[in-house]
Amino acid sequence: MKRRIQLLLVFFAILSSEYNLQAQMNDNIWFDGLYRSYFTRDALNNSTTDDTLSPRNTSNGYNLLDLNTHINPIKDIEIFAQLRIRNSFGSFFGSASGTQINVRQLKARGVINNKFRFSVGDLFLKQSKFTLYNYDEELSGFENDMFKPYRDIIHYENFYIENRWRLQGIQTDFSYEFDRFIRSLSFDLFVTRPSGSTQINETTYSSDLLLSGGSMVSEINKRLIVSLNYVNLFEVPSSGTNNISVRNPVYDLSILHHLSKDKYRIENKIQTGFSKRFWLHSELANGELDTISNHTKGLFFELDNKFIKGDSSLLLTFGYRYVDPNFRSAGAQTRRLDYASGNINTTYPIYTNMSLIRPPSAFDLVSDDQLYNQDLSSVLMVFNPIYSNILPFGDATPNRTGIYLKAKINNEKNLFISKINSGFFKEVIGQGASEKRNFVLIKGFFKINFHSWLNWKKELSVSTSSESEFTKRDGEAVSSLNLFSHQMNTSVNAELTKNLFIQASYKLFNANGNEFLTQRDDYGNITYFASTEIDQKDHILSLGMLYKFRKNAYATLNYNWWGTEFTNQPNLDYKYNRLILILSVEL
Amino acid sequence: MKIKIKLITFYSLLFFLNSCTKTEFEGPSIANLYGDFELIEPLILTNKNPSFAINEQVGFQCEFNKPVQWKIAILGLSSSAYKEISGFSNLIDSNNVFWNGGPSQLPFFSEEVCSVELTIENEIDTLRDNITIVSTKTYENGIWLEDFEDGLPEGSLIHYNSDGGGMTFFVASDDPLLGNSYFKMGGRVNWDWPLGNLDIPINNANVSQSSNDFYINIGILSDIQDLHSGQFINILISEEKDTPFNDNLNNNASDLFESSMEVYKMRVPVDWDGWQIKSFRYSDFEPVSPNNTNINFNMNPNDIRAIRISCQACPSSVGNPICPENFGKDVRTDIDHIIFTTNSSLLDQ
Repeated sequence: MKRRIQLLLVFFAILSSEYNLQAQMNDNIWFDGLYRSYFTRDALNNSTTDDTLSPRNTSNGYNLLDLNTHINPIKDIEIFAQLRIRNSFGSFFGSASGTQINVRQLKARGVINNKFRFSVGDLFLKQSKFTLYNYDEELSGFENDMFKPYRDIIHYENFYIENRWRLQGIQTDFSYEFDRFIRSLSFDLFVTRPSGSTQINETTYSSDLLLSGGSMVSEINKRLIVSLNYVNLFEVPSSGTNNISVRNPVYDLSILHHLSKDKYRIENKIQTGFSKRFWLHSELANGELDTISNHTKGLFFELDNKFIKGDSSLLLTFGYRYVDPNFRSAGAQTRRLDYASGNINTTYPIYTNMSLIRPPSAFDLVSDDQLYNQDLSSVLMVFNPIYSNILPFGDATPNRTGIYLKAKINNEKNLFISKINSGFFKEVIGQGASEKRNFVLIKGFFKINFHSWLNWKKELSVSTSSESEFTKRDGEAVSSLNLFSHQMNTSVNAELTKNLFIQASYKLFNANGNEFLTQRDDYGNITYFASTEIDQKDHILSLGMLYKFRKNAYATLNYNWWGTEFTNQPNLDYKYNRLILILSVEL
Repeated sequence: MKIKIKLITFYSLLFFLNSCTKTEFEGPSIANLYGDFELIEPLILTNKNPSFAINEQVGFQCEFNKPVQWKIAILGLSSSAYKEISGFSNLIDSNNVFWNGGPSQLPFFSEEVCSVELTIENEIDTLRDNITIVSTKTYENGIWLEDFEDGLPEGSLIHYNSDGGGMTFFVASDDPLLGNSYFKMGGRVNWDWPLGNLDIPINNANVSQSSNDFYINIGILSDIQDLHSGQFINILISEEKDTPFNDNLNNNASDLFESSMEVYKMRVPVDWDGWQIKSFRYSDFEPVSPNNTNINFNMNPNDIRAIRISCQACPSSVGNPICPENFGKDVRTDIDHIIFTTNSSLLDQ
């Protein structure tokens, strides 16, 4: 209790101090970056009785400064370096265990002859949703404001920026404008190396993994835009000792037609393409010709229609999507959350007196940046159907066909915001049974701004959301399945004094039913279906305060009560508490 | 009209895609995985009278309706030798699942009738058959062999603590593993760890395999009556190139195992009754002096110059009572049939 009072005093001391942090600039060199202080105190809940081996509470935290240096040696070139200084709580500068100084990003970019732009080093790349796209992680759709600091840290630490993948390589883009036939033509080309050759054992080295690609976008006329995208993930066998290398080219074509009127705008987009994936066996003994194995081909098709009201009060999207079971795109199907990599939770990874590995809960997914992945995968990654069973690989999820509908409605005076996201899908081909899974996805979000309603200057808002996933497969009793998962969020935001907010939120996630977990070999072929029964309930109750110094500069102090209950499951229930303090300032 | 044709074409395309589902399914059948077990093809043995001495094999063939955890157990009815082969699949293919006459562990099979049992995990069915061994497998198909049949290997050196009691560092013939002779190593040195060692020079010039594919196999006989719980064998292998095998003629031991040389070791606790064959991948050996930066530990079977089999035990006397419970007990770590094999261990060949 005494420690909590001390923390509160520290928190208010931070609030009362004056901040005057701003980027320094001159003509050739300028700086920006981010400062963050992060402190957590995790504790076993008082009701926990079956865990006397874990510490009753633990403290962790760090201070870090990411200093971005931008150097313009000449007008058309910028050198960018991000230097990180990180000091864990309890360590001192110079000690090997706690203080780290490293280069986090390096990049040079510029323009050649006012025509060609180029970038070398750390790149953040995105193409279409089927070729190269870093889809959002589970449970992040309609999240409330209280978890935004957690989510910001996960995204920042894992370089998740605008659904782009962080890669290292070289990129160039250039464009032309025409006065007849077409209006413009632009190109974007890149070559990157997602992972380099590494030593596996004494005599074996893995190969370099490369990703190359390009886009061509042409504005045919004022209403029509045609895009072509291509990516290829491949290994270079000569860079390692393996003579088996993956090849995964993906081709994508989209045609966007839009019609703008005074009061509305309509967009229609047709997108289609196909992928190939195989493993090349080269440099064979006795001069034999190269062969390929595990060859798959698959196509996709999407029709997307948007209606946007002129005053942005209504956005309607509806469409149809077909993704073949054999469509494989490493750039679009690599997941952020990787359940197979052996990652375990950072907070209380082991629990109970039997020293079991604690299964992740909704709180871990929301708060633990160590569970997330930054590397492209050439095969479909493992997913947890509890948290995402319908579109675990985003819109590029293979073996899905169906329709979707999305809507966003704003009140003119900003009195309320509502969003709806729904989808009705089914499998293209059954898995382990000829009957196909049917999926229904329904998500809704509603926020009321009472301060707008009551003409208050200080903010008072209440938001709630509900997200449900239904999965069902009929047929024989041995292969039938039925899985339901539901997430409910409620939060309140109240501004006490200027820029100081009191916040409360409650997240409840429950899933029950049964599913068959798909197991695949090294080449992505299905080898087994593990039958699993699911009945669990995750909860997070949070209470705290937030002070906004300015945009992207805030201090927050929260207390979280969280845990998971399992019913008729081999796992044991757990409950924990957390006190967290974050000070985050973008320089 | 034009718009109608476009719409009809478009909806036809949608209908085509939506109906473009397939009747088969991906992956193994769930009905098979979780349904009732059925035998599709009975157990068939490709050779019921094998002559293992001329490298004949016995193949096993069987098929089930779903992948299962299966186990084939072969038991010598006279020798009680035992071999087990197991796997997880819906097909036991005689091209891949076969027996070449070796046991999973000693004793060896003799010319005898063997029972064969195929059992399935969580299923009550057991499939049975018999094999009659016409001639037994030989174990001389290695790169280098020392079976002590002609006494001590040429050039080898024996050193042991002559102050100990009942020291047995000599070739004997009362209880060999194979053939007629073996090397006895044992005795009682209550006050110290080392009892003695046998050093053998080796010429491996024709070996081309890497250390990952090179195995050291050795038969070891432990106490039969009163086990010394702290006894073990240290196998040292030297790749020292510049020093003669017996440089110092006065010490009765090889001079290729100094701490300044490229020497690798493997410690083998000896805590069982009777003979066992132990096999070690050469790459699993550890450098004796890993912190000596003057030594290039580039482990290469081709460079092996000598092997030392060292008998050691935990001291037990009052002056050095680390294992007092073993005081007065004799150590016995006899050896026979030292053989190098490539690609797999001796019993897996």
